[in-house]
Amino acid sequence: MSYILNRILSMLLTLFLISAITFAVTNILPGDVAMMIMGTQSNPEALAGLRESLGLNDPLLVQYGRWIGGMLTGDWGTSLVFKEPIAPLLLQKMTASGLIVLFSMSIALICAVPLGVWAAVHPNRWQDTASSSAALLGVSLPDFFWGIMMILLFARALHWLPSSGFVDPGEDLLLAFRHALLPSLALGLGLMAHLTRMTRATMTGILNQEFIRVARAKGLGERTVVWRYGLANAVGPVMTVAGLQVGYLFGSIIVIESLFNYTGMGWLTYQALLNRDIPLIQASVFVIAAVVMLANLIVDLLYVLVDPRIRLS
Amino acid sequence: MLDDVKPLVSIDNLRVEFQGEDGPIVGVEDVSFSIAPGETVCVVGESGSGKSVTSLSLMRLVEFGGGKITGGKLEFASAGGVIDVAHADDDTMRAIRGNEIGMIFQEPMTSLNPVFTVERQMTDGLRMHLGLSAEAASARALELLKQVRIPEPERRLKQYPHELSGGMRQRVVIAMAMACEPRLLIADEPTTALDVTIQAEILSLINRLKRETGMAVLFITHDMAVVAQVADRVVVMCRGNLVEEGAVEEIFENPKQDYTRALLAAVPRLGEMRGKPAPEPMRLIGDDAAAPAPVLPDKPEPLLEVSNLTTRYPVKGGLFRRTVANVHAVEDVSFTINKGETLALVGESGCGKSSCGRSILRLSEPTSGAVQLDKRDIIGLGERDLRRAWRDMQMVFQDPFASLNPYMRLRDQVAEPLRNFDLARGSEVEDRVAGLFDRVHLPRSFMSRFPHELSGGQRQRVAIARALAVRPKLIIADEAVSALDVSVQAQVLNLMMELQAELGISFLFISHDMAVVERVSHRVGVMYRGRLVEIGTRAQVFENAQHSYTKSLMSAVPIADPTRRTIGEEMNFRPIPSPLFPLGHEPDPSEYTEVAPGHLVLKNTVS
Amino acid sequence: MKLPAAFRTSKGLLGTALVLVILLIAVFAPMVIPVDWTTKMDMRARLSPPTWAHPLGTDQLGRDLMYRVLLGARTSIVIASSAVLMSIVIGLPLGLISGYAGRTTDNVLMRLVDTLLAFPALLLALTISAVLGPNLQNTIIAIGIAFTPFLARIIRGEALRVAQMPYVEAARTAGNSDLRLILRHILPNIMPAVIVQSTISLAFAILAEAGLSFLGLGTQPPDASWGLMIQASRDYLDRAPWTALVPGAAVALTVLGLNMFGDALRDALDPRSKGAS
Repeated sequence: MSYILNRILSMLLTLFLISAITFAVTNILPGDVAMMIMGTQSNPEALAGLRESLGLNDPLLVQYGRWIGGMLTGDWGTSLVFKEPIAPLLLQKMTASGLIVLFSMSIALICAVPLGVWAAVHPNRWQDTASSSAALLGVSLPDFFWGIMMILLFARALHWLPSSGFVDPGEDLLLAFRHALLPSLALGLGLMAHLTRMTRATMTGILNQEFIRVARAKGLGERTVVWRYGLANAVGPVMTVAGLQVGYLFGSIIVIESLFNYTGMGWLTYQALLNRDIPLIQASVFVIAAVVMLANLIVDLLYVLVDPRIRLS
Repeated sequence: MLDDVKPLVSIDNLRVEFQGEDGPIVGVEDVSFSIAPGETVCVVGESGSGKSVTSLSLMRLVEFGGGKITGGKLEFASAGGVIDVAHADDDTMRAIRGNEIGMIFQEPMTSLNPVFTVERQMTDGLRMHLGLSAEAASARALELLKQVRIPEPERRLKQYPHELSGGMRQRVVIAMAMACEPRLLIADEPTTALDVTIQAEILSLINRLKRETGMAVLFITHDMAVVAQVADRVVVMCRGNLVEEGAVEEIFENPKQDYTRALLAAVPRLGEMRGKPAPEPMRLIGDDAAAPAPVLPDKPEPLLEVSNLTTRYPVKGGLFRRTVANVHAVEDVSFTINKGETLALVGESGCGKSSCGRSILRLSEPTSGAVQLDKRDIIGLGERDLRRAWRDMQMVFQDPFASLNPYMRLRDQVAEPLRNFDLARGSEVEDRVAGLFDRVHLPRSFMSRFPHELSGGQRQRVAIARALAVRPKLIIADEAVSALDVSVQAQVLNLMMELQAELGISFLFISHDMAVVERVSHRVGVMYRGRLVEIGTRAQVFENAQHSYTKSLMSAVPIADPTRRTIGEEMNFRPIPSPLFPLGHEPDPSEYTEVAPGHLVLKNTVS
Repeated sequence: MKLPAAFRTSKGLLGTALVLVILLIAVFAPMVIPVDWTTKMDMRARLSPPTWAHPLGTDQLGRDLMYRVLLGARTSIVIASSAVLMSIVIGLPLGLISGYAGRTTDNVLMRLVDTLLAFPALLLALTISAVLGPNLQNTIIAIGIAFTPFLARIIRGEALRVAQMPYVEAARTAGNSDLRLILRHILPNIMPAVIVQSTISLAFAILAEAGLSFLGLGTQPPDASWGLMIQASRDYLDRAPWTALVPGAAVALTVLGLNMFGDALRDALDPRSKGAS
């Protein structure tokens, strides 16, 4: 219906704006692709010639158009650092990151939601204090700190899991899983803490509403009231918060993947930024922003399924 | 009541406490009364009286709100014998709730779970208490919906709460409470949030159900008129204590306690202004000498002339958020207010009375029409001139909590118009503000306070002082007393009439409360679905209503006199259609018949 | 003056205490501790665990970790506060105009802000820092710009909410010009939300600075910051985990304190606790 169409149109506009912003930011860089290819010590004439042939003297708008056109036809350029075409590189790395993002989100949601509800049901008692304090601690520690803890504990001390590297799940599922576990945990713990706090806040708000009192006045047991009546209303808001956190996750993977030498999107972007690989920076930043936006769109569309007020208006 | 009939409910020395920041707060101090089978007991009181807490204690729901029953007994005669609810365990209580005692609450808009269908919410209680199968429970739910006279009951079962109107939702809630044929129905302000006609329907529904099932009703309210219409016995509460109790006629005719007498004196009764030519302040207990009454000037001079005022709001939707429909909030409305006169605009929610007031001030921009204040056109004014025009007309808003800036001292808020319009400078400002505080009977020490330190009634006085600062010719009071307790309401009404008498201010008094309107107005206009359906002097409209809507509105208003019961068992009113129209719909212009000099009745059909 | 109820909880007291302690350290530590105590390299005591001589251990160059961590407080706090201040300076007018000016302006501005929000804040900060060249000032700019969209959105939401309140309409009819309305009525009423949000943003800014420096795109040596210290410890995690734990704990305590303080602040400024009826 029109709500969905509106959102999709909106998404297309945003995608366009994302590309524009990405292009603008990365092209403020002093020094350019030509210098990267030939090195800073090279012959100025040869440099000028290369610039000409690469089209770097054209107005920015034209360069931007060329970039967009290329993306639409499948040519995403070549990485200066890796000396490979960018598109297949992105695909491979995105799969790797996708794996740990989904994994960490699942771990977080599965643990956080029951915990948050439990805390909301026992406000200001030990259950609430304990879980809220733990959650507070969780959001206060930086992700990479968790990562370091994970490495120290599980890899170095206990030798249960590898502390670096990435394995394609297509090749060996179990090994891929083993490599993905620690990074996912490192990402997931902070996320779990945040989601617990959000769930608790949402549930507290819901449990203060009139229809909960009406449900109790009907004689329904507390369990039914909280876990059926209450939780059914919390799904939407919690889902929205989780969707927003996907954006945060894609930021954190830059640090976590570097820490674990897990060659995903974050690691790729970091390498690009470090080495000023402009074509790769442009492509990775654009893709990450696009994926985040897509995730939020999916959440919006799922919300329609969850909340009859939106479905039937 | 026969002495040997055992009471259904017997409350003895109930005491309820809440945990406050600085120690326990007593919600109910010492309350004792009883309810006989089949009788309606009304517990009445102002805010903070503890009336809701008492009813929640009977259901042991008060613990969920942080309260604790710290003393007394609550005996309920259930099917299995007399139980002391105060000391019953969870399982016993769950078996009683929704089964032997049903409860309905105040806010129909939030009483139903938004993500479950009506059917699901109605059947889960049934299946739990009565052990019915899914089909049997659905069939019973349908039966219940028919019992509460909901239109199209089969369709409603499958719908979600947001698809139902407020009145319909309240019927569903009542149906849920009646599901297991309870012995007692507790109704906590069930009609406070509803329009007058819907209130009458719900009250008559409760009356009918009571007669059909023989259940008793514990009715909590702050509205004495409702009490007069439905109660057998009355319990008056104040600040957690029981002040007085007795049969309803006794309480109304022969109140013994000062508090009860003061409360009753503050209640405007529909019909008591019959024969009186002008608005009259209320005779409140503790008021010395009769307050000044507004007197109309000999020659009426028009102050505000509204002609063909139309205000429409666009509704956006669809692709690209285009305008898909319009809300015709105000449609071709015309009236005049003379100097020193009060015109009341009455109607139910959505009729456009508030939009009308806002359009006159141009807080909402009108779509077309003319507004003239003292022969000066208001609609065409640019921003600067409009600001200057506000020196002559001001508004007092409904919500006393939201109409004052929480972060500004009261003195500054009242002084602002003086400074902005350059009406006073330097030390004169302070004097003028002090004078205004005196005028509205507030102590000067309040000037340096912040809004949150004052009560609702006090804040409303500050709002009036602020409006008075510019010495306006017209004050628009948009439901200005609706959010106040009865006794405070009466004081503020008296204040308004006093100001009119002394300063000759005209009022546009917007309200949904007919009894209040009868008290304060010279002339009355009735609005319905954006149109002015009837207008005339107060006597003409109240005693000789001509338009069908006015007549049905009058018949629905509860009268604060137990000897005149008008709320029967079958009251049905046509549902108010929404003023939403498709794009491009051009309604006919309003045409009126003059049934008496100054008494106009709309000819167009409005629904 | 009685402390608001929200601060008399253990969370409120602890948070306030932590914040005060960190602030004191940030302000006074560099005045009290001579710089060379943090740069003095005791090569014999390299990577030594906590001892009496070095209560929190030493790093790979034999530098005392305790003094370094205390000194690093100022750097981290200065960067974080400057970044948050910058985001307020840009975001406040942006949010106010968007909330007050009218639907078209609002739509355009919010479209821009929403698009920026699709970029993860850390990614945005990293990119800006890489583009401008990583150093202390640019770290501030990078984090400041990255946090602006979120703050602008919150302020715009508050401005919208406040602009619809009856007291704003009443203030209009009291003759206030648009400017006076914004300054005297709208701004004071959105400040509580702004203050609470700033406190939370401050916590995130410290985390962001730590992350940026950890990746080498934040503060650079010789500026000492906690993120840099953690980065330096990466190669020595096996032998000397305290080289990472000490700065990590410093970040954690600061952020924890700010979060607790922010929570208590939010509860104290909750409009529901105002307006006794």
